[in-house]
Formats: sequence, C-alpha cells, structure tokens
Amino acid sequence: IAQLKDVIIKPDAPSSLLLDKHADYIAAYGSKKDDYVNNIHLKYDNAIGKMDTINVDKAVEFVLSCMNFDGGFGCRPGSESHAGQIYCCTGFLSLTGQLHQLNADLLGWWLCERQLPSGGLNGRPEKLPDVCYSWWVLASLKIIGRIHWIDKAKLRRFILACQDEETGGFADRPGDMVDPFHTLFGVAGLSLLGDEQIKAVNPVLCMPEDVLQRIGLQPDLLS
Amino acid sequence: QHGRVKVKTTAQQEEEKRKEREKKLQIYVAARDACFTKRKDGVFDDEALQLTQQLLSSNPDFATLWNYRREILLHLETVRNQDEVQKIYEAELSFLESCLKVNPKSYGSWHHRGWVSARLPRPDWARELSLCDRCLSLDDRNFHCWDYRRMVVKMSGVPVKQELDFTDRLIGSNFSNYSSWHYRSTLLPLLHPQAPDTPSQCGNPPPSASPQTHFHRVCEEQLLKEYELVQNAFFTDPNDQSAWFYYRWLLGRAERDEMISCVYVSREEERVAVAFSRPVNAQSVGLLLILDGQPQRVEWQSVHPHFKNSPVWICSLPPGTISDVANEHNLTVHWTEKHSHRDCALYTGRSESWCRDTATDLELFRSELSVEKTSVLQSELQSVRQLQELEPLNKWCLLTIILLMRALDPLGYEKETLAHFQTLKDVDSMRSAYYSDLCSKFMIENTILKMEYAEVRVFSISDRKLTTLCHLDQLLLVTHINLSSNQLQQLPPQFAMLQCLEVRIGTLFFLLFFINLNSEISTLADLQPLASCPKLKRLDLRGNPITQTTNAEAELAGLLPSVTDLLL
Repeated sequence: IAQLKDVIIKPDAPSSLLLDKHADYIAAYGSKKDDYVNNIHLKYDNAIGKMDTINVDKAVEFVLSCMNFDGGFGCRPGSESHAGQIYCCTGFLSLTGQLHQLNADLLGWWLCERQLPSGGLNGRPEKLPDVCYSWWVLASLKIIGRIHWIDKAKLRRFILACQDEETGGFADRPGDMVDPFHTLFGVAGLSLLGDEQIKAVNPVLCMPEDVLQRIGLQPDLLS
Repeated sequence: QHGRVKVKTTAQQEEEKRKEREKKLQIYVAARDACFTKRKDGVFDDEALQLTQQLLSSNPDFATLWNYRREILLHLETVRNQDEVQKIYEAELSFLESCLKVNPKSYGSWHHRGWVSARLPRPDWARELSLCDRCLSLDDRNFHCWDYRRMVVKMSGVPVKQELDFTDRLIGSNFSNYSSWHYRSTLLPLLHPQAPDTPSQCGNPPPSASPQTHFHRVCEEQLLKEYELVQNAFFTDPNDQSAWFYYRWLLGRAERDEMISCVYVSREEERVAVAFSRPVNAQSVGLLLILDGQPQRVEWQSVHPHFKNSPVWICSLPPGTISDVANEHNLTVHWTEKHSHRDCALYTGRSESWCRDTATDLELFRSELSVEKTSVLQSELQSVRQLQELEPLNKWCLLTIILLMRALDPLGYEKETLAHFQTLKDVDSMRSAYYSDLCSKFMIENTILKMEYAEVRVFSISDRKLTTLCHLDQLLLVTHINLSSNQLQQLPPQFAMLQCLEVRIGTLFFLLFFINLNSEISTLADLQPLASCPKLKRLDLRGNPITQTTNAEAELAGLLPSVTDLLL
C-alpha cells in the first residue's frame, strides 16, 4: 500500500521570518574559500535582448514536444514531468509569448497536487517536499495565473520551518543543513506568497521586480 | 544539497573534522589542477585518464572533467585500432557502472554512458537494457535511467509492444509507479493511435507538438482495455495517485481541430468579429476577408490590447460597404495558414448575421460516446461510487466520480456534481480554490449548453458560487449577461470577448444592454473592464461591497458615464 511521503513539522520549528539571520548567513558564505558552487537550472540570462540569435520557432517547437499527458514537461521529449523542467518551460513560453499553448488548467492541477499535508511542495508525485520547489512550483503557478490553487498559509509555515535559527539560511526541509541555493528559493517563495518584508520578485526571471521595471522588462503572465 | 541532516558536534569534533577535510581538499585540488593544466596543454595521456577517473569517482557531477575525458577518448579513437577502441569503451562502461552504483542520479554519469554507448564499435544494447532493468528495480522513479532506457530502445529498435509489457510488469508489482504510467502514455498512442477521421487508418503521425492532439490519443478498443487496467490499480490501492492521474488523462479528449469557429457581422457598426478554436495571432497567420468576391484590406485587432494571441479578432469595414439594409452581402473569412475558411451571409433587412459551430456541434465539453464506451463508463461510475462509500475521505474517488459524470451526462448530473464538489472541498481543503474554479468551469459549460439548446443569447448563471469566468470566447453572441449571487472578485480582461462586439481603432467597447453583477466586487478597479463599454446602459451592483464605499455613486458615474440605470 502506498505510503504518503511527507515530513512532520515539529512544534518548536521556526515560525517567523529571521531576515537578519539570513542576511548574516549569505554575507558570511561569500567569504569562505572552499565554496562549492551549485549548478541550478539556467535559462536565458544571455539571451535577453538577443533573442534573434536563436531560432525561436524551432525552440518553441522543441519545448512543446516535451509536453506530457499530465500537462507538464520533462527534460526531453518522452521524459516524465518534473517541477524544475516545468518552471524552465513555462518561463521560456512566457519569454517567447507562447503561454497560450499550455493547458493551464491541467498543468495547474498537477502543480497544486504537489502540496503535501505538511504544507510543503514536492517536485513530482510521491516525493518528499523541498523548499526549492516552493520556487519552481510556485513561480510556475504564478506564471500560469493559478497561484491561488495552493494553500498559501500552509506553505508559508513549511518554508519558515526550514530556517535554521542558529546559523541563518534555509535548508531543503526542516532540520537539514542550510545552503545558499535553498536560502534563495525560500526567500523568493515567501515573496511570491506576498510577504511584505521582502521585495516583490518576478516569477519568470527570479529577479526583483523593481530591477526589471528599470529596464522595462515585463514578461507575459496568464491571468 | 539535498537530504543532509544537521548534526550537532562538540568543538573538538569540529576541529578534527576540519583538519580531515583540509587534507582531503588538498589532494583533491592538486589532482584537479593537474587535470586543468594537462587539458590546457592539450595532453591526452594515461595519467589524464587516471586523474579524471579518480576525481569523477568521488564527484561525478564535475561536468568539465567528463568533457575532458571525452576529449581524451576521442583522441584515443584516432590512434588505436577498432578492437582496442572497443576494449577502451567497454572499460569505460565498467567504470561508469561503478559510478552509477554510488550515485545513480548523476546527470554527468548518465550522459557520458549515453555518449559511450553511441560510439562503441560493437554496442551491446541488450546489456544496456538489462542495466536499466536492474536500476529501475531498485528505484523505478529514477528519471535518468528511464531517459537512458528510452535512448537504448530507440537506438536498438526495441518493439513498442515489448516496452508496454515491461510497464505492465512494473505496474503489476510496484507502487510509486508514476514513471511507468507516464511511459505508457507515450507508448500506447504509437501502437494504437486514434486516427482523426477514419478509425481504421493507422498512418504515421506527424511530429505533433502536444500529447493532447489527435495523434497522441488512443483508439477506442485499446482505451476500454486500458480503463480496466487502471481500475485494477486504483481498486488495489486507492491511495496510489499515479493511477488516478492517468485515469483522468484516459477520460479526457483530443484537442480541437484548428479552425474558425464563428464569424459575426454587424451592419450598423460595419464590423466583423472572428472567433477561433485556439488563440491565434491574426496579424501573422494570413487572415483574409472576402466581401462579395472582393478581398478587403482590413486591420485585424485583438479584443484586448495586451493579448498578441487571442481567440477573438475584430476588424472594421470601409464606411458604407454594408450599411445599406436593402443589400445582401456575402462574406468569407479565410485562414490561409490552415486552409480553413467560413462563410457568412448578411441578408437584406437584417442588421446582423453570424455563422458558427456551437459548443454542442464541436463536442466541446463532452465527446460523443459509442454505446460500448457509455456502458463501460457507466459501470466504472458505479464501481468508483462503491469505492467512495468504503473510502469517504479519498479525494481521488470524489474527483473521478465528477469527471465520469461530466463524460456521461453533464446536464443530467449537475446537481450531484455540485454536491460532490462541496464534499471534495471539505475532504481536500488545501485545494478548495482549485475545486471552486473547476466547478465554476463546469457550471459555465452547462449554462452554455442550455443556452444553445434554448437558442437564446442570454447567458444567465446565478447563485452557483462562481469564482472564475472562462470559455468567454464561446459568448461572442451574447447580448444579456446575469452573474448575480456569485463569488467573482473581478472581471477578467477576457470579458472583452463578449458580444455584441464593436471596435473602433484604438478603443474597444461593447454593446451590452444589461449586466447584473452580485459578487464580491469591492473596488472601482474590479469594474475596470466595463469602462470599455460606452453603450452599457444598465448596471445592477446591489449586494456588492462596493456599494458601501463612500461616494460610490459619484465615482461609478465617473468611471461609467454611459450608464443611465445604476442600481446600488
């Protein structure tokens, strides 16, 4: 019988946002000499403003060929849907003005089903929740106009529980080791949920909205 | 870094650990620097192979080193004979197997294995397939392995049927098998495609983009067998979500053909509105308007300025072209890119005309069911209902019952559907907003069907707890709209698709005689879309929070100057 994979949030888990601790954590991290830099999904930092250097139609065709029965996207045509890939593809479709090619209702359903009883989000069915999916899944939902389909209060509680009160920073799940990768996505996820202590972040480019406003960049979002 | 538990240690333990890490780091850095130096110097010797092997054994995610290793191997291909190359690559495969034992989820290792397999003079695909079998028996959700398997299958021509049988075995023996069901969703349409027009045809599908299109759906005979397979799965374990996801896909239908679904013409306003089955960019798809045999030079405008792709487009005809009510006119709109067109005749004495396929014609909300399929779905509905009684807290049962009812008889089951949605929101409260929106969508579909049967242009849906509006492209011809007693908080920009649509270059307004809104409209901003209707005469806002704001009447008069009848 299938056991539901999830975590339990302990009663003494952090429940408020420890902004100052996180600032200290990130500041200290950069000064260490044996850092290991994580590889995260990269998109079009070079391509912004240089879309004419690639064949956009062919690229769109390829991305759409990765769409699956559940409305999601995998790495390659035929690959299983995964929240990280879905984020890359929805962001891509936003930047290329092709969001209408998505089945937003179907994909939105698959995405909101990532939320587990603990309030956290996983990356695909029957996997454990992870704070970085608070970004991949949440930003995707925001791009397709269905962020209200998850329980925001429960997710916020999960993200806050992933903080480390001693060192600052966020871990993938409560009690684990923190790292900058999960710290970024924990903070960015909280911003998307509407935390007023954090600047508004753009879901497509994972950058502060005010920065994008300055350069006049406003990627499409579905409503 | 994932899954690393934080463990507290003493200061002395910390210091010992630090010293050990320091030592390891020095060895690592020395080896790494040696590699980079060799690579820079263009050296491709045995030592380079050994160093990279040493480093990659402990860190298979170091992509640069795999790149260097491939450069070394490519070099060796040029200076060794084929038998030697075969041996080298077979050794490489052994090395990779040991890497994968330690970390079966490294992108670098799997990619390298794929590269090696493709370059092996005499590949042993059976061995590769067996490796996948073993790997998947340990973790059948390892997508790296599944992707590698798909490559092996493609390169060695494994029959689709064989792979389908493989998924059968996995699904039969394992839980957590979403990956297997997913694979089936790609295999079935290859073996048993649903041909669009003639059921007997099994031609080669074009490289279509989305699995939602015809060529990625399954012919009915196989579909019915598949229903049985899935039902066995969710009856064995009603909490196995993958079976329920897959079942929802089976119950769904192919995407609509791309076509023009409606052409509307207004003589008074000398405008033409065109509705498409999918959002398009009319300015780039070769949309041609022919009036009485003469091509017209017109400017197509999307109904909403921000949408480059829209299902509804409008254009104005040159003044005087069709204004004389004594004349009859024939219009044709050509969608040249898709070789599709639609005609519309504007008769004498008529102020407007249209030609459309209704939602019913197009089986938009429900596909035509064969006798056999109806009978199968009915018995499935009964079975899932029985299951639901045994598992009252299982949300998958409830949702699936709703989906089955929609497939069988959306209007007949309307009341039951509403009741089930209420239960669903209680059982799965985290997703209650999703269920509210989904229920709204189904109620809107039912209202559209009823409207079409009655052949009226009034869209009335009140007291249905609507939280969202959709299918607005189906409301092109609607003249009256009643949305009272719902839970809408704002009007979507797509509201501009509502009829009777009239456009002047630069501004957009529509001719709505009557709007009745009783929702949760609370600010002026919520009513913004209505400011685009200079001909809106009557607006009933009673029961909305906005009526409580001070100065509401004056502010509304400012926003909506044309409204003569404002009910607060």
